[in-house]
Formats: sequence, C-alpha cells, structure tokens
Amino acid sequence: MYELVSTVKRDYIVDLARQDKRADARALDQYREVSVETGLIENAQGSALVKMGNTQVLAGVKIQRGEPFPDTPNSGVLMVNAELRPIASPTFELGPPDENSIELARVVDRGIRESETIDLNKLGITPGEEVWMVYIDLHALDYDGNLIDAASLAAVAALWNVKKPHVEGWTLDEFPVAKKPVAVTVAKIDGKLMVDPSLDEQNVMDARLTITTIEDDSICAMQKGGIGYLTVEEIKTVYELARIKAAELRKHLG
Amino acid sequence: MLYAQNREIVIPGQLIAEGSHSIYGGAFKEGNRVYSSVIGIVNVRGQDIGVIPLGGRYMPRRGDAVIGIAMDSHRSGWILDLNSPYVGNLFVSDLEGRKVDLDKEDISQFLRMGDVVVAEIRDVDERMRVLLDACGPGMGKVRGGKMVEISSAKVPRVIGKKGSMTTVLQSTSGCKIKVGQNGRIMVWGDDQRMVNAVVEALLMIEREAHTSGLTERVKQFVEKMKSEGK
Amino acid sequence: MMKKPEKLIVDGKRLDGREPDELRPLKIEAGVLKRADGSAYVEMGKNKVLAAVYGPRELHPRHLQQPDTAILRCRYNMAPFSVDDRKRPGPDRRSVEISKVIREAFEPVVFTKLYPRSGIDVFIEILQADAGTRTAGINAAAVALADAGVPMRDLVSSVAVGKVDDTIVLDLTKDEDNYGTTDMPIAMLPRKKVITLLQMDGHLTPEEFERAIEMAMKGCEQIYEAQKQALKTKYATKPEEG
Repeated sequence: MYELVSTVKRDYIVDLARQDKRADARALDQYREVSVETGLIENAQGSALVKMGNTQVLAGVKIQRGEPFPDTPNSGVLMVNAELRPIASPTFELGPPDENSIELARVVDRGIRESETIDLNKLGITPGEEVWMVYIDLHALDYDGNLIDAASLAAVAALWNVKKPHVEGWTLDEFPVAKKPVAVTVAKIDGKLMVDPSLDEQNVMDARLTITTIEDDSICAMQKGGIGYLTVEEIKTVYELARIKAAELRKHLG
Repeated sequence: MLYAQNREIVIPGQLIAEGSHSIYGGAFKEGNRVYSSVIGIVNVRGQDIGVIPLGGRYMPRRGDAVIGIAMDSHRSGWILDLNSPYVGNLFVSDLEGRKVDLDKEDISQFLRMGDVVVAEIRDVDERMRVLLDACGPGMGKVRGGKMVEISSAKVPRVIGKKGSMTTVLQSTSGCKIKVGQNGRIMVWGDDQRMVNAVVEALLMIEREAHTSGLTERVKQFVEKMKSEGK
Repeated sequence: MMKKPEKLIVDGKRLDGREPDELRPLKIEAGVLKRADGSAYVEMGKNKVLAAVYGPRELHPRHLQQPDTAILRCRYNMAPFSVDDRKRPGPDRRSVEISKVIREAFEPVVFTKLYPRSGIDVFIEILQADAGTRTAGINAAAVALADAGVPMRDLVSSVAVGKVDDTIVLDLTKDEDNYGTTDMPIAMLPRKKVITLLQMDGHLTPEEFERAIEMAMKGCEQIYEAQKQALKTKYATKPEEG
C-alpha cells in the first residue's frame, strides 16, 4: 500500500506543522467535515454511510442465524470485516484482506466488543446450537485518510440504525445496543499532534494513536500505528483530545 | 453539415458533423461522419473540427515542460512519475549537464526518491518511452514551494493565450509559478497568504476552465486576498 | 423471501405496478468519488451500484503489458450486505463470469490502441442488489469511463428482459427473476444499436426472443438518455459570477 509522496509535499506539511498549521487550513484539533447517513441499504438490518472529508465508508449490519462459540453457548457472535477494495484507492489491491484491512476490522471490533456495545447475552436462540450472528461489514468507497475513525463511526451508527430486525424467528422487542464508542485518531508530525489525519498527513506522519472512548470517558480500545514512537506525555495528550473529540463526533449518532 | 454547435459540450459517441472535415483532439471519424470520443467542448475552426477534452490523463509529448517526482533509480539515472500512464526516464548526465563518471560518483547525491524535478520531454517513442532533459534554464531539482496538481486538460487555461493567465497570477500575487503540462504546478512566494491565494486561484481555474471572463475573475480574487491581508 | 405469488401479472400490471415495458425508477450521478479518475453512482429500482475507473495507468505486473494497446480490466463485486443472505467477501464464480462479460461489453468501444502498455481498470461495487446488478453496473461503468476521460466510440447502455406469466417484461426485480422463467440481460451501443453483451437463461421461442430484444433495446435508449443527462449535468457550463 505504498504511496509516493514528493519531498515538496512532505516538506510543506512538516513546515506547516512546525507553525501549528495544516495544509487544508484546519486547526490541529479540528476534524474535517463529517456526515452520517443511515438506513440506505434496505437489504441490511442496519447501515450507515460516513463521510469524513473525502473519505467515505459504508457499513452494513447483517443479522443471521449461526453457531455459537463453544465456550459461550448462549451468546450471540459479533464479527467485523473490512473490505479495502481498489475502487477506493489506487493503493488498494485485489486479493485476500491485507494487514491494513485486518487491522482496521480488528480495531473497530475492539471498540464495539470491549465496550459491550451489543449485549450478546441476549442473542442466544437454542443454547449450544443456534445463536444470532451480528456481521458488521465495512466497505471503503473513497480513501483520503483516517479510515479508522470513519469506519468506527459508520459501524456504530449502523448498529444503532438496527430497529427490530425483520428476520424470521426474531423474538426480542428491539436490538440490544447500549453504548456509543467513538474512535479518535491522532497523528504525530514532527512532534505536533493533529486529529483526523488526511491522506497526505498520514503518508508523512511519524506515528498515529487511536483511542476509542465511551460516554463516560473511559477507554475501551487503543491502537498505535506507524513506524515512529510516542512519549507517555504525548499519549496523555492524545487521550485528552480523544475524549473531547469523541463527544463531538458522538452527536452525529443522534 | 454541423450537428453540434461550436463550444457545445458533447459526450462520447455524439455526432458532431458530416462532410469532409479534418479533425483533431477528442474527435474521430467513421466514414465522413465526425463523432466525439470524450466529454469535451466542440471547437470549429473553419473546415477543421475538434473536441477539447474536459478531462483525461496526461499523454507525454515532445517539447512539453513537465514536473516529475523521482520514484525509482538505476545505475545511471532515475524513473520519474509524471502523473501519466507513462513514466519519464532521466539520465544523470541530462540532470547535471555533464558526463558523470558512474564509478567515481554516487548519483544519489543529485536526486533522492520523492524529489521533484522540473524537466522537458526530449523524446517520446512509439512505445511511449519518455526521455527527459532537466539541465536547461529553469529546470532541475525543485527546492521549497508548494505543488498543486490539477487535471492536465485544464493546463492550457492556467497558461492562457500567450501566457496571459500565468502573467496575471504572478504579477498580482508576487509569487513565482512554474507550470507543467502534466498538470503539476509549483508555486513559490515569501508571503504564505499569497501562495495560498495562488493555489486557490489555480483550483478555481480548474473548476471554471470552460467559462469566459475567467482571467478577470482570477485577477480580482487574488487582488481581494492581497488587500485583505493588509 | 416472499412465497411465490399466484400471479406475477395482474390486470396487465406487474407486482410493483409497472407496465411490462416500463423501467424501474432510474437515478444516475457522475463524478461521485475523489480518488478515482472517473466514477458514477446508479440506482435502478432498489439496486444501488457504484463504479470507478482508474486509468489509463501503468500496468503491473509488467508481463501483462501489451506493446501496442491498453488492457481493459473489470472487477464486479457484491458487498456482503448487498443481498438478503450475507455474501462472504471475495470473488465467487458468478462474480468472475460477470466481470468477464462486462469487460467484453466495453471492449468494442474503448480506444485502447491509443494507450500502449497501459491498463484501464473498471471497478463495480454492488452496494444493494435487486436483480439486474450487472446491467446497473454496466450503466454506471459507462458513465465512469466517460467521466475519467477515457476515449470511447459510444457509451454502453444495458438492461435485462425476462418472461413472467408468459409475458415479456423489461427490467426484472428479484422476485420476477426468481419466479419467472427467463432472464436475458443485454448491453447495447446506443448509436449503432449493436449488442455487446447478451446472456440468457430460461426458455424463449424465436418470436418471444424478437419481442424481448426489441423491448430491451427500447429500454436501453431510455437509459442512454439518463446517462447523457448525468454527464452533461456534471459538466454543464457554470453561469458567470459577478
């Protein structure tokens, strides 16, 4: 997924960072324009399209019968999958999921699972034999940086979009979703920390840190990425940013 | 016999004219009927009919000034990305303007991966292999500045008739501009606000390339940005 | 999935109220993605389809390059949530076949000889499916190719016809496809009115085939108008600003 960045572009972005500025005139703690549209895929039980600047991710929730895991015979199963297909970027290739799409899926999964957003215990059907499977499929449509935040937001929005599913055999009154975890990714460029990196910023950054928080500001997932490093102070700063920005982004979830 | 008007926007497969015309640009003939092959603007010049494409990727042509990015190297030179289906070949002697002893000198001192180069296309063969020259005046490795990428189809509008648009941009903003036919444009300036104004103006030209009165609007825009800064 | 209805045509109207030769509601938008060189979004009834074109661009791996022409490649893919029963991600045999026939629908029109050694990639993503996804995909891909500035002799327009209750019908829904006896997608070059995609499964007499192909071509003409409109709308000359 290598992308050629010219030294002119790299120098320009680093230069701006030193002055606390960004190439698209955003503040360091400012997200690009975010929009969330839900319910557009009727064949899915829940769906959401998130636009974050030019990045676009579509999430679909499908609820189907399936087999439980042996150690949790009466719990539903959550599975998150991400497709980074070449339609979204010249750097995405066809083939089995690469490390980027797998990391993306697992980070989104972690945010939802560790926060117990879905009460999986309510999703059993016949203990040991049949439970409800909740599939969240993330489909990148246009890639301009920060898929993690866009995909996480889309996944949670899609889950909250699930009303009483019209699937045969569904007995609950509603879909047991309770929390709104929000992932916030911060990139480090020449010692400066900035939220919601654009593609250009991502290609130039030293490292990134994603922190997923829920409504009470507690942390349910973290992921560091990139070839550089972070100091403990920086990590604490990222948490503060994540806490505040998550609250802002959460408003899009209604 | 014309079936489309001059300056009309046409789509691929649309019938433009019938008769003995010579054609150019995004037009093709079947028998004596002229059709458009792209989304473009019909241009009628006497008996000549052409379509000016509104988009499409850059095709290297001999003599074009281009701005490339070093993406690979070999023993005696580099491969430059030209924002085109075709890459450019630059030999070290065509960058430094002298014969280089490859046994004694390491060419990576002249150019690294990601470096930006202003060059001219010396030759394109029938297999679209492109040979570049980067040691003429105003050419060579780029330092500093901001690069803008626009659709190469809009570059003629950025240059303007006899360079009129580039002249207006430079004189109004005080910035220096180098335009590559491949859609890449370098902007240098001491005043960051003016550099940003020029970048905005270039994107505006890309959006409104096929409208009239554009040069005047661009001039007013940059002047407005200049006076707001005071 | 609904149980097979008694009749699929009642009083000359289909289950969704359409006439036999009526298209489903059609929406086409050009240039909807930023990264791709060209793109288009199409809704045909409940189908929601996105197409993107990258190219002409350098072709990798190099051994695939042809010295005198561009290689046209097409990938049709269904999102896992696009269908009733979740589809496992990845190419299946059906997607591979559809990708091939779609590519062959465009081979006659794209001026590939203008771009030696390069590749032109067409990606079609089905976001929501309701029968006729390959036809919707072709309609989107044609607009995306034009949007990308890829030179073509013509656009390509596509629609499916079928037979339900012994009646030839245009632009089948999923139920009509499931409970009818015949499905025949076609793609046409609107200018010359020649066919570049033709598939059929089911049963048709020669007379029924003639009626079907005539109905399909009329349907394609309507779709062509919408494709033209979508492109002209995107590139319409903006009014001068004061």
